[in-house]
Amino acid sequence: MLCKLAWGNVRRAGRDYLVYLLTLTLAVIMFYAFNTISVQIDYAGIGNEGLGSLLGTLIGGVTVFLALVMGFLMVYANNFIMKRRKKEFGLYLVLGMGRGQVARIMALETLIVSGAALVLGLVLGVGFSQLMVFFTAALFKTQIADFHFFFSMTAFAMTVTCLVATFLVTLVFNLRAVARAKIVDLMGAGRANEAIRTRNPWIAAAVFFVGAVLVGVSYARLLADGLPISGSSEAGGAFLITTVMVVVGTILLFFGLSGFLLRVLAFARSLYWRGLNMFTLRQLAAKVNTVSFSMAVITMVLFLAITSVTGGMSIVDAMNSGVEQSTPADFSLTAMYAGNRVSDEEARSGEGDWARVRVPYDIAANAVDESGAPLDLNEVAGSTVQLNSFAAVSEGSDTPIVSYSTLLAATGLSMPPGMEQANPVTMGLPFIRESEFNAYLAFRGLDPIDLGEDGYLIISDMGESVARVYHEMMSRDLPLTVGSRELSPVTSDLANEGVPLANAQPSNAGSLVVPDRVIDELGLPVDTSYLLVNYAPGVSSEEGDAFMEQLETDRWIDGEDGKHIVSLMVGTTKADVYESMNSMNGMVSYLAIYIGFVLVVACAAILAIQQLSGVSDAGASCRVLSELGTPRRQIMRSVLAQQAIFFMFPLAVGLAHSFVALRVVIDIVQLFGGVSIAGMAGFAVLIFVVAYGGYFLATYLMSKSIVRDAIRVRHAV
Amino acid sequence: MPVAERPVLEVQHIEKVFGARGNVTRALSDVSFSIGRGEFVAIMGPSGSGKSTLLNCVSTIDNVTSGKVLVNGADVTSLKSEKLTRFRREQLGFIFQDSNLLDTLTARENIALPLTIARTPAREVLARVDAVAARLSIAETLDRYPYQLSGGQQQRVAAARALVTNPAIIMADEPTGALDSKNARLLLESLETLNERDLATVLMVTHDSFAASYTSRVLFIRDGRLFTELRRGDQSRRAFFDRIMEVVAMMGGEGADAL
Repeated sequence: MLCKLAWGNVRRAGRDYLVYLLTLTLAVIMFYAFNTISVQIDYAGIGNEGLGSLLGTLIGGVTVFLALVMGFLMVYANNFIMKRRKKEFGLYLVLGMGRGQVARIMALETLIVSGAALVLGLVLGVGFSQLMVFFTAALFKTQIADFHFFFSMTAFAMTVTCLVATFLVTLVFNLRAVARAKIVDLMGAGRANEAIRTRNPWIAAAVFFVGAVLVGVSYARLLADGLPISGSSEAGGAFLITTVMVVVGTILLFFGLSGFLLRVLAFARSLYWRGLNMFTLRQLAAKVNTVSFSMAVITMVLFLAITSVTGGMSIVDAMNSGVEQSTPADFSLTAMYAGNRVSDEEARSGEGDWARVRVPYDIAANAVDESGAPLDLNEVAGSTVQLNSFAAVSEGSDTPIVSYSTLLAATGLSMPPGMEQANPVTMGLPFIRESEFNAYLAFRGLDPIDLGEDGYLIISDMGESVARVYHEMMSRDLPLTVGSRELSPVTSDLANEGVPLANAQPSNAGSLVVPDRVIDELGLPVDTSYLLVNYAPGVSSEEGDAFMEQLETDRWIDGEDGKHIVSLMVGTTKADVYESMNSMNGMVSYLAIYIGFVLVVACAAILAIQQLSGVSDAGASCRVLSELGTPRRQIMRSVLAQQAIFFMFPLAVGLAHSFVALRVVIDIVQLFGGVSIAGMAGFAVLIFVVAYGGYFLATYLMSKSIVRDAIRVRHAV
Repeated sequence: MPVAERPVLEVQHIEKVFGARGNVTRALSDVSFSIGRGEFVAIMGPSGSGKSTLLNCVSTIDNVTSGKVLVNGADVTSLKSEKLTRFRREQLGFIFQDSNLLDTLTARENIALPLTIARTPAREVLARVDAVAARLSIAETLDRYPYQLSGGQQQRVAAARALVTNPAIIMADEPTGALDSKNARLLLESLETLNERDLATVLMVTHDSFAASYTSRVLFIRDGRLFTELRRGDQSRRAFFDRIMEVVAMMGGEGADAL
């Protein structure tokens, strides 16, 4: 009997349950499809071991968080349905049904809808995940070899668990609502003239103004201070204050919005007293008063979604765009010298296990395989070059010859934002011989440079915020004192380009290229050597990489006196860099789209539910308007205007917040290289717009039919 | 009443049939009457007699199955929805049992609504609202919201809203139905004054004989047909009330006999 009643109710209240069903189904699709990620990665044959399970774990964790968000969303949606059906539940109680039975009807209804959403969502989710494999493959830049159907038990279990948890939370809130309700309130619902919570428009306008000022100040603070990436407590505290300011400011902004709008439009008399404008505005004002807090929350969530997605993706984009530039060779090997492990005392006495050297170690000539047999790199190498950088600090001294602070002092610039806490005095610039650098340029097929008697060139592959001081030095023709010499910059295109020294990013924080003589005179020890190898024509990258695998690396090389002089690092191939880049790219994009999409859907769903409940409450008003002779088109225009403001205002404020925050994020990203907020982020934003706009459209269409019904049926007299 | 003048409202042989195929209810059959300019007319009848259906048909909220409704000589039953909306806006004013004021608007804005919908200039809107509010003695409540007003005040705001466009006819559907006796009397006196002083034409549906006694003519309707008609003439309201009560008793009695 109860089942029959519940089933009938769900069918009859189909429209009310539609948003609920739609949102839950979307959530199930997302939960399932994204949780199949580890299966997909294995399936797509994405090489990186552990990537699948790492990403799987990450997505699983995020899903629990998102399920929590969904749970609260469902409670909200349910309140909406409860509100619309108060009278019906009141009737059940009047007819002598126990509260327990009413609660059971509600639970059954929720169960039916949740069940439907689960089945529908899983079917669509399984289908969607088959398609998503191709998307995943594209994201990780691989191809699907053979397509076959797959189903993930883990994802299934995860999805069902989350949905059951959501259902239980909803149930608890429903039971509470039923237990508390008074029959007289339930029966009388919708009859009495609703008391409008009004605020003094002047005070509200003032609150709006204060909110706007707070938000403005926090924007200014954020732009000036940047993000607290240095981790110092003052910077953290200042950032916390900025965050609190923007949150409070946003809440006040929405609190005062209606008053502000009314005040502004009261000045435009002829606009206010025209058509349904005053109705539209008053409806908005009444609504905004009751939902201002949730609108502020929606704004902040949208802000979070937009920022994390575009920020995350643009970081990946920046790294991606640099990948070509940061792989100068098919294979590179870095060797770190023991120099800085040796104290001056040890250097004089000849004690200790490490030793400094001034002559670079020839990596290629001494190459051996695992068994210790010599390995002739020329079997695969077409061209080879070894570039050496010499210590920034001369022996017997503990301050660099040229440090970042030298350059800052010469140019009058300050530390890049976010790095204020770092000590520029300790950031020394290593030296590179002109002759070796020209060999490196020839290796890369670039024109050589000529430093003349006393020229210098600063090269780096850092982003603009760090490299700016280098550019300033050279473009302003500022001299540098090195030892007893005064050097002047030479003009070169390389001054403004990223110059990587090995296959990694970044590999060159800033190096001084100087005439060979200068280094000889200073007697600097070697700091780092870079061996760069390009494979000969006819040697594929797979063959070359396989050959280079044999090279014995990751070990100390000892000098003639048995002391360690240099440590060979593990070599890096171009393919390695690309693959790790793709994995990184795919991972961030995945998480960003997943989190962003679910959050945006949640926000849009809450707005949709608020608007629909608003429209059904306003049904009587629409009928009155129609009876007073308002054309239906005009009523619908008013409804559209209200809904557009409700959907667009939080989006606009959220976008404004994001825009400012992203400016700061971009500053940070620039430390690593160039940046563009295009590419994948554009794709993500497109998905957002489709989801958000879709909800807006659905809400409007549903409102249209609610209003049409309300107008058509004359109230019974 | 000048005989030469054409009636404001002419209802000619209208019928209204609900339902289809075997399950047909004839709510109105062959109802005809006319109302002259400046008349205050009540339609009375027991529940289910068709009086509200009649008002709905006359006010174009519902369409008739057959017959004609003429307002100022123009047939409104043949109007299409666009023109119908316009007609309602320009020619009719409505007062309902529950005042049907919009919760979110102040009294002033509620009254102004029909004017702003018709795109009347703001200056004129405000002037006319003030004028009509003064006539109904609600000038001091104009900036309050409906929930801040008493039931009687709400009904008078609704009356002001109906009047503000200077409609050809004011349609009042059980306007006193939700009021206590004191507020009902105040509202009826207001309508009476409007009728006598401003020559407003009012058509009121009611089942309350006391309310009907304020009018100049009462049409009785039963089972979808016009039953009889009473004119007040020069009688006192008290005497008119007694005559109305007699007809009501007779209608009720006949109904009881049929059982």
